[in-house]
Amino acid sequence: MDTDKLETLLGNQAHEFDLAVRITKEEDIAVARQMAKQLAQEMGFSLADTTKIATAVSELARNIYRYAKQGRILLRKKNAGKSEPAIEIIAADRGPGIPDVDLVLTKGYTTYERSLGIGLSGVKRLMDSFAIYSEVGKGTVVVAEKRRRRF
Amino acid sequence: MKETPSNPEQVVPILQIADFLLVPIQIDLDDKTVSRLQEQLLKEIERTRAKAVILDVRTVEIIDSYISYTLSETAAMARLMGCRTILCGIRPAVALTLAQMGIVLEELNIARDLEHALVLASSS
Amino acid sequence: MRSLLEEVGEERVAEEIVSIASEVPDFPVVKVLQQALRISAKMRQEQEEALSQLRQTLSELATPIIRIWTDMLLVAMTGNIDSQRAQDIAERLLNRVSSTRAKVVIVDVTGVPMIDTMVGGFLIEMFNATRLLGAKVILTGIRPEVASTLVKLGVDFQMVSIARDLEDALRQGIAITMEEAQKRRQLALNLAKGGVGEGNEGNAF
Repeated sequence: MDTDKLETLLGNQAHEFDLAVRITKEEDIAVARQMAKQLAQEMGFSLADTTKIATAVSELARNIYRYAKQGRILLRKKNAGKSEPAIEIIAADRGPGIPDVDLVLTKGYTTYERSLGIGLSGVKRLMDSFAIYSEVGKGTVVVAEKRRRRF
Repeated sequence: MKETPSNPEQVVPILQIADFLLVPIQIDLDDKTVSRLQEQLLKEIERTRAKAVILDVRTVEIIDSYISYTLSETAAMARLMGCRTILCGIRPAVALTLAQMGIVLEELNIARDLEHALVLASSS
Repeated sequence: MRSLLEEVGEERVAEEIVSIASEVPDFPVVKVLQQALRISAKMRQEQEEALSQLRQTLSELATPIIRIWTDMLLVAMTGNIDSQRAQDIAERLLNRVSSTRAKVVIVDVTGVPMIDTMVGGFLIEMFNATRLLGAKVILTGIRPEVASTLVKLGVDFQMVSIARDLEDALRQGIAITMEEAQKRRQLALNLAKGGVGEGNEGNAF
């Protein structure tokens, strides 16, 4: 069932989103976070929340670059009925996949040499909702959402 | 890329005040820049035998876990060279983001502004 | 039309339009309805804006941030804290600390009935963020039942100083600001003499 979900998410079309950034080189990390910042600002997020969103995108983009070499960051505005608008972030790659998802969400866990091991757990803490779909050999997709707070 | 410094090793200007180095960071810290910054700082500490280095991040809009890691690492290296590192001018939005991610920057001394940074730098 | 909508409400206006339309054959129903909808949407938007302003004022009133001494802020937290309120308080506090360059922040939690893991975690975040701005936090007003819950939850506030009461907090805060003022004077003296710090025999810039 999760495999289906993963395939669907990996097959997401860029035109269904407000912003799509392809991550293939290190510089793209900074590009992705700048674009996320702009979108969040446009949507009226507070400065603190805009910074949180841009930082989360930075972490996700770096993870793609480090572990999968290439992938995509997709961003879109969500406006579900009466509730406050939200921004949805999808980070998708067809990289090696994660064998143990719970383990990578543990603060301090990292397989990378120069890292705090705080990336994914940090993103989870910054966002209102967070889900990760991954399968070894297929790829990884992170879906996260931040709602705009009232006022 | 915006500006390419004439000397490829120089990513930021470094000012010397007495025994201190003052480093205003006024560029977007992407991954390459942040590791080159570390190199440049350590060389400069060695050359000037500075007692403290003050990193001014007033204009830095995003500090993520990798930048935090490199800054802490640089501070630990500088400490081994007899130099203390002081971070000053963190923006409120950046502070909230770091705190929520659980990043505390223990290796670094934190100052409100330049004056406070100088006080921390000179008190042993 | 607007005053009509405000006075009798949308439902009544709609009913009236329908009944007029059934009696008057060439009554421009579509146009009138369009206009009514436009006005009612505008009214709703204005109401929402007023409401959100009210909410903001309310949240500022609920958690006042007061400058109680030179370079010192007091945050008096009261009532139950949910994650929305928590983020709002933290954001307001950090902006105040930054704009006033406060050296000390006293956080009084006497009015907080319960500190669970969520609130404890939020307080830790707020304290760490305050430290990143270069200000010191003094926490006061932890009642016995709260202290007991905190210890059982494993929430320790190692990053802050604890004060017995507000008076004690103020005393500690003044000591901190005075110490810094003294250091700053010393630094200025040393700089004037042409050197900085100890073991520095006057070698100029």
